[in-house]
Amino acid sequence: MTIDAKTITRRTALGLLAAGAGGYAAFGPERRRLQSGGRVVLDYWEKWTGHEAAAMKVVVDRFNESQGRIFVNYLTMGGIDQKAKVAIAAGDPPDVLGLWNRNLPFFSQCGAIMPLDQLKDYGITEASYAKAVGPLVFRGGRQLAAPSTPSSIALYYNRKIFEEVGLDPDSPPRTIEEFDVAIDRLTILDPDGNVERAGFLPTDPGWWSWCWGGFFGGHLYDEKTGLATVDSPQNIAGYDWYQSFPKRWGLDKLRRFQGAPIDNPSPYRNFFSGRLATTIQGPWLPMFMDQELGPGNFDYGACPFPVPAALADQPPYGPIEADILVVPAGAKNPDASMEFIAFTQRPENMETLCTGHAKPSPLSNSSESFVRNHPNRAVAVHEEILQSPNAYTTPWITGWAEFGMALGAGLDQIWNLKSPSAAAPLAEVQLEASEILQREADRRHRRGQPDPWEKA
Amino acid sequence: MKHDSLGTGLLWIGPWLLGFGIFTVLPVSLAIYYGFTDYTLLESPIPVGTQNYERMLNDEILGTVLWNTAIFGVLSIVFGSILSIALAALLSKPARFQSFWRAAVFAPSVLPLVAIAVIFKLGYDPDPEVGLANQMIDWFTFGAFQGPNWFGSGFWAMTALLLMSLWSVGPAVVIYLAGLRDVPKQLHEAASIDGVGPVGRFFHVVLPMISPVILFNVIIGVINAAQVFAVPLIMTGGGPERSTYFHSMYVYDQAFKFGDMGYASALGVLQFAIILTLTGLILLAGRKLVYYRGA
Repeated sequence: MTIDAKTITRRTALGLLAAGAGGYAAFGPERRRLQSGGRVVLDYWEKWTGHEAAAMKVVVDRFNESQGRIFVNYLTMGGIDQKAKVAIAAGDPPDVLGLWNRNLPFFSQCGAIMPLDQLKDYGITEASYAKAVGPLVFRGGRQLAAPSTPSSIALYYNRKIFEEVGLDPDSPPRTIEEFDVAIDRLTILDPDGNVERAGFLPTDPGWWSWCWGGFFGGHLYDEKTGLATVDSPQNIAGYDWYQSFPKRWGLDKLRRFQGAPIDNPSPYRNFFSGRLATTIQGPWLPMFMDQELGPGNFDYGACPFPVPAALADQPPYGPIEADILVVPAGAKNPDASMEFIAFTQRPENMETLCTGHAKPSPLSNSSESFVRNHPNRAVAVHEEILQSPNAYTTPWITGWAEFGMALGAGLDQIWNLKSPSAAAPLAEVQLEASEILQREADRRHRRGQPDPWEKA
Repeated sequence: MKHDSLGTGLLWIGPWLLGFGIFTVLPVSLAIYYGFTDYTLLESPIPVGTQNYERMLNDEILGTVLWNTAIFGVLSIVFGSILSIALAALLSKPARFQSFWRAAVFAPSVLPLVAIAVIFKLGYDPDPEVGLANQMIDWFTFGAFQGPNWFGSGFWAMTALLLMSLWSVGPAVVIYLAGLRDVPKQLHEAASIDGVGPVGRFFHVVLPMISPVILFNVIIGVINAAQVFAVPLIMTGGGPERSTYFHSMYVYDQAFKFGDMGYASALGVLQFAIILTLTGLILLAGRKLVYYRGA
């Protein structure tokens, strides 16, 4: 068969293809480069949006204005950890990357980030950070990441409701036993047993499903042995307490209580509307109070989350997390990246950033003005937790995402009263977690990498 | 001027071949290869033989996701087929505003799935003052029955997803409509003369005549059900207790959340094999069950 060339010639077809390719090259998605004036341009990927992104923008602008050699091109995006993996694997990573501390074990184990040894030259050591923050970013004496903003989780309470029911808002509960009594006093049930106001609910907002055993002195993983400890007596006690809420008020009643967003999609709606008297939250809560309710319109208090009486005399227990900055392996300008990261760690910049995020400073000391002008008047509570030896975070394992998902499925069983106690679901999670850890170990051995607990 | 047909043909299909090679053949080949490796995406792959496939044999979560996917697939295809054939039969009858009704049935299919999932999530809120589903149950039963907590138990969460899957039957309805138009009137008339009523005609004339269309829609339904991903991800996140955790979600989690691209690739190959096998079995069954006019 032949084709009549009068319609369109091969040359014309090739010309059209070439024109298309040329047009794509000229006008297509070329890498966006801002006017850098001949400076080294660093691409900095960050995960924040809104006021959090704006706070870092202030620091980035300050850095760009402070010198004439380096220009930081600040880009914010969602799903950053997954995009970063693809970019690093493809050999085209950004120069600086904002992740979460829970990402660090995986990225460092895979050699996907560069150690920040050069920060020593800027006077930054583990002692520069709050006691609980240093271990989040240092491993084996080497700094793998720099904290940008940390958070510790505490108990927030509505002072007005405390006063209404005769509780002293200046003396919040310190022990779980006291807290249980307070919860009963703070709770209002209607004649049918429906919850009108809950004294506390561990699933509102339910963001830190891994934290409940920690308040009872439990750990999910033992770094010294490399074994999962999900079904330890402390964890069982913690998750039994977690299960006491559906047992106390009835699962259906709680579902109905939590299902109603009362025309407000805010995750803080129940606490802000007074339907929830106390809540477990991070230091940013007062900033959202001011945004949603107007400045100063909510009288709140905060304290470390209560613990069993046997632990009450110890330094505060509390979960902590941190946003971190890393330099991906393959970054084109590591020295410039280090310089920018070192700049962010200066107290004045760190305090600007953490004030903007309404979080405590990750540094070992914060200035008096930082505490005085902080949007959260209880920031000292969060700083106290960051300095505590009893602060805890997600386990340093590469398989935490999978481990955490297994724990989440176990928690569903516990909350939905599929088992009379937390023991059986936690035993199932323990088995699953052990398999995950074994696969991790196999992978390390296959690649000739040492076991982390041998280092510890 | 004349050109040789092979050269010109290759030139015209060249761009497509290039795209097919780069975006289909290469990734599929790599996925098959990675399925036999330990690959974290951030480190180079290490061959591990059939370890990833052996792991599947003892993977309880894989059993759960395959079971969930099978349940969802069977029920969504059965209910979806019944509903879309019924709608097509209704829409094929002359009626006022016929074009409007046809457009109304098809319109939901052009909306983005993510947006629909978000709206449905709100619609399934357990509080009847907020959730439309429970509001309707409340209204239709005069308050005698309380609507369920849709995402509070595995049964209701799966039911919620199945009901939502019926939202997008529009494309299947359009295909069934075309099939119904092709049923010869003479057959209807002949059956009527023989004393067959409307129901009998539907089962003994219409259904056999549109059986090739049913076969096509079932195969498409199997492929779609095996790949269900975005809606459960948004509406239930796979919970509660992994009761709505599907195979595609597990593949995605293994690849991008857990960093096990090797196992994810093996799971992807398994998914491909399952779809291929099911399609083959359906086609095989179709040889006996499907009536092809003119065959």
